[in-house]
Amino acid sequence: MHWVQIVVLGLLLGGVYAMMASGLTLLFGVMRVVNLAHAAFILVASYITYALFESLAIDPMISLLITMPLMFGLGVGLYLLLFPRLEDSPRYVEMTVLLTFGLALVVEGSLTFIFTGTFRSVRPDYASSAVNIGDIFMPTSQLYASLISFALLILLWVVLRFTKTGTAIRATMQNRAAAQIVGVNVRRVSALAFGIGMALAGAAGSLLSFMFPFFPARHWQWVALLLALIVLGGMGSIKGAVVGALLLAVASAIVTDQVGPTWSPITFYLTLFLILLVRPQGLFGAKVRL
Amino acid sequence: MSLLEIENVVAGYGAGPDILTGVSVSIELGTSYCIVGPNGAGKSTLLRTIAGFLKPRAGEVVFDGVKMNGSRPDQMLAAGVCFVPQDASLFPAMTVRENLAMGGYLIDDRTLLRERMDMVYETFPALAERKGQNAGTLSGGEQQMVTLGRALMIEPKVVMIDEPSLGLAPMIADQIFEKIRGFGDLGITVVLVEQNAVKGLESTDWGIVLDLGAKEFEGPADGILADPRIRELYLGKALAPRGELS
Repeated sequence: MHWVQIVVLGLLLGGVYAMMASGLTLLFGVMRVVNLAHAAFILVASYITYALFESLAIDPMISLLITMPLMFGLGVGLYLLLFPRLEDSPRYVEMTVLLTFGLALVVEGSLTFIFTGTFRSVRPDYASSAVNIGDIFMPTSQLYASLISFALLILLWVVLRFTKTGTAIRATMQNRAAAQIVGVNVRRVSALAFGIGMALAGAAGSLLSFMFPFFPARHWQWVALLLALIVLGGMGSIKGAVVGALLLAVASAIVTDQVGPTWSPITFYLTLFLILLVRPQGLFGAKVRL
Repeated sequence: MSLLEIENVVAGYGAGPDILTGVSVSIELGTSYCIVGPNGAGKSTLLRTIAGFLKPRAGEVVFDGVKMNGSRPDQMLAAGVCFVPQDASLFPAMTVRENLAMGGYLIDDRTLLRERMDMVYETFPALAERKGQNAGTLSGGEQQMVTLGRALMIEPKVVMIDEPSLGLAPMIADQIFEKIRGFGDLGITVVLVEQNAVKGLESTDWGIVLDLGAKEFEGPADGILADPRIRELYLGKALAPRGELS
């Protein structure tokens, strides 16, 4: 029973990781951009959720309905403002790395300016309660967060699989030039993908706000973890990001239990090293062309 | 008025030099064209510029009487100009059927899409047998058929095909050329770029010789094939005597 407990705790966290990572890997797949500011934007949503909770007592799970569209709009806007200028650059990849790194710094600075650098957390009633199913113990906050994450992942899958826009996004991920040839406006698709990735970041921010305390510089730790997840799954593979996230979260939970929480963060990178030794392209990745 | 009018087009990549130094070409409805010339003459660049993948630095692209220079690829396609690039550019993780469906991306009418797809399967019976197979697992010739079939989905007025025989065994290449000759019967004007100039000219009505980014010569394809002087002057090795390259 003990092992089931550990795996369940890992999967609960993994669900949220999976959603964060799928947004990032979606962006990479469509735009070939590694968005180093992804976690910084997750934090923006956490702070918005925090502000809404403190001032209007809006439940963080309700504020998802605000942060997701807000971040979607921000994503589309940022994309149209910043990225088309770089499109023709022969140094596109390098430029976008610098650009998103810069964005992360700007976001962190702005958050520190507005909210100061102290730890914040959102504490609704369920933040400190737990659910027991048989002998299995689940923190209510993590249960809610992972249920919402899985629901959003399924929604993402349905959109990508069954809508025309989703098909255009998948086509662009597989072959950008071919997508252009059949008449996909790849700039529009990229803007939408950026928006969807950011909306997922928004959802993640709202959910994380009541799971972990946060401060403006926290995002570096998150983005490092997210990068590990999407590299493990195979860059640009959403299925890979989800499987990678669940796998690593469970591995991390096992290490926490067996060796101690100090060693938990290193699990991610150690597992990453080991898997990449065997599969350099990640679990589900095609050979990456940058 | 010609269907597609290229006037003094200058184009190049990034901050690089002009690859096209002032090309003028008229494409007439119902005639098929083969653009030949040595490596680096700007053949592919010309197609890419017309298709909207490359913005002309100067000159005009006029299609059906409308000035189109600077249009995006999707706008050119919507107008009726379809481009089939060199490397069979498919969606490798989608099935043959899904790839063809993507060819009709700009069409919203589902019944029309289904009719077109049946038409493509009729033209390329080999594809009908592979409907459910992922495009990435097909052979080179089959992939080329999918790209050509995908181009038919939109029923373009002009289809520009870049090096369809590249990397294919001669027998397979012959099959592909035969299909391309059939496009004319479907009312599609073909503009072909082909390194194998003999095969290309044999499959088309009119030859256009490009060199150093400009048009050197044009005339009936069979005339070019028959004229040893033109061969030597303009084509050099690109147009070797029959049999040597085919």
